Amino acid sequence: MISPVKIWRNQKYIASRIGLIGKIISWSFIRVPPDGFSGQAPYPIAVVELEDGNRICSQIVDWEEDSLKIGLNVKTVVRRTIETTQDGVIPYGIKVKPI
Amino acid sequence: MNIAVIGSGMTVFGELWETSPRALARDAVKQAVVDSGCDKKNIQALYVANMLSGTLGTQGHLGALFAEELGLSIPAYTIEGACASGGLAIHTAVLSILSGEYETVLVLGVEKMTDHKPEEVSSALMGAGSNEERLAGATFPGLYAILARAHMEAYGTTEKELASVAVKNHFHASCNPKAQYQKPISIEAVLHSSCVADPLKLLDCSPVTDGAAAVILSKKPTKNSAVIIASQVATDTLGIAERKSLTTLAATTEASYKAFAQASISCKDIHVAEVHDCFTIAEILALEDMGFVKKGEAGKRIGEGTFSLGTAKQCVINSSGGLKACGHPVGATGVKQIVEITDQLRGRCGKRQVKNARFGLTHNVGGTGATAVVHILRKESL
Repeated sequence: MISPVKIWRNQKYIASRIGLIGKIISWSFIRVPPDGFSGQAPYPIAVVELEDGNRICSQIVDWEEDSLKIGLNVKTVVRRTIETTQDGVIPYGIKVKPI
Repeated sequence: MNIAVIGSGMTVFGELWETSPRALARDAVKQAVVDSGCDKKNIQALYVANMLSGTLGTQGHLGALFAEELGLSIPAYTIEGACASGGLAIHTAVLSILSGEYETVLVLGVEKMTDHKPEEVSSALMGAGSNEERLAGATFPGLYAILARAHMEAYGTTEKELASVAVKNHFHASCNPKAQYQKPISIEAVLHSSCVADPLKLLDCSPVTDGAAAVILSKKPTKNSAVIIASQVATDTLGIAERKSLTTLAATTEASYKAFAQASISCKDIHVAEVHDCFTIAEILALEDMGFVKKGEAGKRIGEGTFSLGTAKQCVINSSGGLKACGHPVGATGVKQIVEITDQLRGRCGKRQVKNARFGLTHNVGGTGATAVVHILRKESL
């Protein structure tokens, strides 16, 4: 499932999306995760509208259960995403944390 | 447009451990051929709808595979459009007849899901989402939960209203001997079932299902057949983040608008409809986006029994039990919707028969609304 080439190709895109401010448009809490995410579950995900008007779908990190709500301000950070496979390449991606 | 459904059939839907995809296909197609009364030799092309075989079972090339299994040496095609694969295959088959190339074709929808672990199925289904959604660890229940929360925020839709969709569809499935869950459930049972992706609970979700459905389409209507009078497809962005609205599936609106125009009727004329209720929120979105109710009112109206067997005023929604309770073998679903509406229009649905049904509609969605397919059918009165 994980292609090292794809991870390499995505680096520039990820770098361009760090440190952006946005707010949560809607969110949910994944209690039954897909393959490669069981170590992280349960975890919240959200659709976030960034200040530049673009929207992203992202996992929320460093969250507190009571604080999760529509309208919450967040910023984009780099975090590990899916669990690595035998290749050993660790996939990183964009997640958001409350500010 | 007048494309007749001259034969239809489907397997029992459920966890069919002992049945292979080939056996599912044989069963559904045999029923359709017998029903049509036409010789198998008259079938000129085969359209196979499937989503997960390549990912889960490492088996591609399904057109040739099922042509071989069914003993048909004819042109065969595989159509994939996530959970809308079935509807897309029907649409493609309709176009092939309209093109003049074929007169009689077979559409087979088939999916075998229970051979694999739930997390594998969950990941494979996410093939219908965007790469960004996959990297976020999203699941389809999670993405529809995001839509549900946005709808609750915008229109005050409640968890109880969501649950009423499941209650209605389980009630309908209790009248369907081929449904996966033939047991009625209560609002409380839905509300107290375990949480999958807040605010969606286990009983808000359609199940993992094995099953197949088949229809034979023809240029020439036969006595007491159902006729497809509109077939329309629309697409939207693959991921939900790229959409302007999280409370409307724009592809549903567009496909239904074009279909009603093509059929020269409105949703007020529809007596029975199978809509894509992969999650309870999805049926609410479907009814609103196709214009059956005003935006924000679907949950309340469904709870009042406006679309239930026995109490419906105008139109019964998901008489089969829908994806929610009849089951959702993803590639087969869109074909099974045509099977149910054909059976309704031909008056052979037994306990769940909608009286005097003359116009029916099917609505099939792929992903979180990236593909929508709408068909309108009319009872043929030769």
